[in-house]
Amino acid sequence: MNLNEDAMWVEKYRPKTLDDIVDLTHIVESLKAFLKNPHSMPHLLLAGIPGTGKTTVALCIARELFGENWKSFTLELNASDERGINTVRDRIKDFSRYGRTGFGDAPFSLIILDESDQMTGPAQTALRRIMETSSRTSRFILICNYSNKIIEPIQSRCAIFRFSKLDKKAMVEHLKEIAEKENLRLLDEAAERIVDYSEGDLRHAINALQTTAAYKKGVIDEQTVLQVFGEASPRQVQMMLNKALSGNFVEARKMMYDLIGQYGFSGSEIVRQMQRELIKVPHLTDSQKAELTDIIGEYDYRLTQGANSDIQLSALLAQFSKFRT
Amino acid sequence: MAKDLLWVEKYRPKKIRDVVGNELAKTAFTSWLKDKRRRKKAVLLYGPAGVGKTALVNAASNEFNFTIIEMNASDTRTEKAINKVGKPATSFVALDRFSSESKGNILFLDEVDGVFGQQDRGGIKAIINIVKESLIPVVMAANDTDQKKLRPLKKVCQLIRFQQVRIPLIIHTLRKICAAEGIKPEFEALERIAQNSLGDMRSAINDLQSIAEGKPLLTLQDTMFLTTRNKDIGLYDTLKGVFSAESVPEAAMVLNRSSINFDDFLLSFSDNLPLRYPDPDDLATAYDFLSKADVFRGRVGTENWSLLRYFFHYLAEAATVSPKTFKPFDFIHPPMRIMKLFWTKGKRTKLENICGKIALRCHVSRNTAKTDIVPFLQIMLKKQKSSPIASWLKLEPEDVDYLVTMNKL
Repeated sequence: MNLNEDAMWVEKYRPKTLDDIVDLTHIVESLKAFLKNPHSMPHLLLAGIPGTGKTTVALCIARELFGENWKSFTLELNASDERGINTVRDRIKDFSRYGRTGFGDAPFSLIILDESDQMTGPAQTALRRIMETSSRTSRFILICNYSNKIIEPIQSRCAIFRFSKLDKKAMVEHLKEIAEKENLRLLDEAAERIVDYSEGDLRHAINALQTTAAYKKGVIDEQTVLQVFGEASPRQVQMMLNKALSGNFVEARKMMYDLIGQYGFSGSEIVRQMQRELIKVPHLTDSQKAELTDIIGEYDYRLTQGANSDIQLSALLAQFSKFRT
Repeated sequence: MAKDLLWVEKYRPKKIRDVVGNELAKTAFTSWLKDKRRRKKAVLLYGPAGVGKTALVNAASNEFNFTIIEMNASDTRTEKAINKVGKPATSFVALDRFSSESKGNILFLDEVDGVFGQQDRGGIKAIINIVKESLIPVVMAANDTDQKKLRPLKKVCQLIRFQQVRIPLIIHTLRKICAAEGIKPEFEALERIAQNSLGDMRSAINDLQSIAEGKPLLTLQDTMFLTTRNKDIGLYDTLKGVFSAESVPEAAMVLNRSSINFDDFLLSFSDNLPLRYPDPDDLATAYDFLSKADVFRGRVGTENWSLLRYFFHYLAEAATVSPKTFKPFDFIHPPMRIMKLFWTKGKRTKLENICGKIALRCHVSRNTAKTDIVPFLQIMLKKQKSSPIASWLKLEPEDVDYLVTMNKL
């Protein structure tokens, strides 16, 4: 624990055992049943929105299976960073066959594929064979946001667990526990604010909590929370949105290229953030927001069909610039 | 005199002043040739076909007594082949330089845009190397310099642009040829030939020969057989063409004729739209068409080429939302995206690096690190620069500096 004293709190307070996990009782129970007899454990597919504990559950399983040496039996890959077929053919295949680098009574090696819905089609197809042929030596835990993006043959080889939004009360409790351990006084309204803004994403909530703690030592009130969320929300996206809505298309488009150029965002990421920020724009009525969201949705769809994300983003901004509020 | 010679050969300019039109390009080229301390060892003459690029080089060699070592598209131009001819030609100064006759050699690579990927593998790279090491002037000519593969080449060359030859000049030249061949032409006939050539001198002379050779008289009647030639139009001219078109079919025709790279074109088209439509409603409509065109570009991919006509159609629609409002403007070129990505490459990789470190520590993807963790981390580090979190994340001091000073997302 000492090692982790300075860590980001999301890591510091990441549950180490399945028993520590917040508000996932039914999932944890069935997983424990599997772990009683590890040989009978199937491949797992954990699906659900971000920040609900999928990665944590996977890491806990690894720990329960292999104890403190879990790292030598586990390959943890993030498919959104390494999504091509080559990763599957080289790293995953090799590890699934020869992965048992440590000695001991480990029943098999474990491969955790985070964000596996980002894997390309061919990569998934390649994976499907490997899951079958290596089932004597290894198990897979696939983690994804949308299970429908995982090809069916893989789904049918896995036991699927769905993670839904975390319960607000449980999140508030959890934040308070952390605050207590950090010697902070977290006021009730402040905790509720954080949870509200985080929309069931515990990682987001804990990050926010840690940031507020950097502001003021001691007491965390609603004021600080508001300040942090104001600061941390993507300013550039907001400005782009405002420029477009005030009819200044050329400036908005320049900012779009800043986002692409400086931060390396993809088109769909920018659209996602625009949608998130749109909801917060104060001077729009609800029906106007609905109308604009409709437009965003259309272009988000075209983004998946088209060849060139710049074009679709520009077109979206042009629609916004035309929109009279 | 050789009677069965092609007239384009027979009347090929002998002196620089015989080359018709493109006065600016001519002076630029001769002063480059004469300049003993030229800044760039190579020139790239570019412009549409048949306006006198090759003719100018040949005329100049006549006039200044250069010997031309030539490679054109009919030769294989792999790296090996180019080196075989180019290396010896450029790494020695010819002995006959000292004789009074010749002033030395120049290497002339005609039609460099025809150095093709598969068959002429490594060709462009070899050319660049030769240019860098050459002791003698290297002259190149090309029609279409917008191609991606030519970009590195353009950096090491002085560029000289050729334009279409003006119609009156073509008429004048045709008339001189007629006089030399003993033909009496009607002015209207020559005018039609010249106009039909769209500024391409070579095709005009060819047309003239095909309908007038051996006849004492040339009438307008004779020119009726001429058909319009399909002109390949480059990126710049395509943009100009579609944006000044007055109807969808007209714009579509320009697109059909051009030989542009569609993806470059889409980007440039998008860059220029705001200049074309000052009215936000028009602009939004145009962008909507453009977006549909892009969707079809996606569907075309690399195989369904038959869908290309819908792509053209939507582009044409986008270009002609309100034909009446067209006012000439300066086109943006090259595409903004390419410029932007080029200038910000360093920043982007820096951020990617940092996110890679965070990803490793926090069990998330680089993208999640970028969108979900960096914004909070920035605030924490701003409040407390020497925060122990930085060392836990294994961030270097310069990474921290970068995060703190980076523009807020």
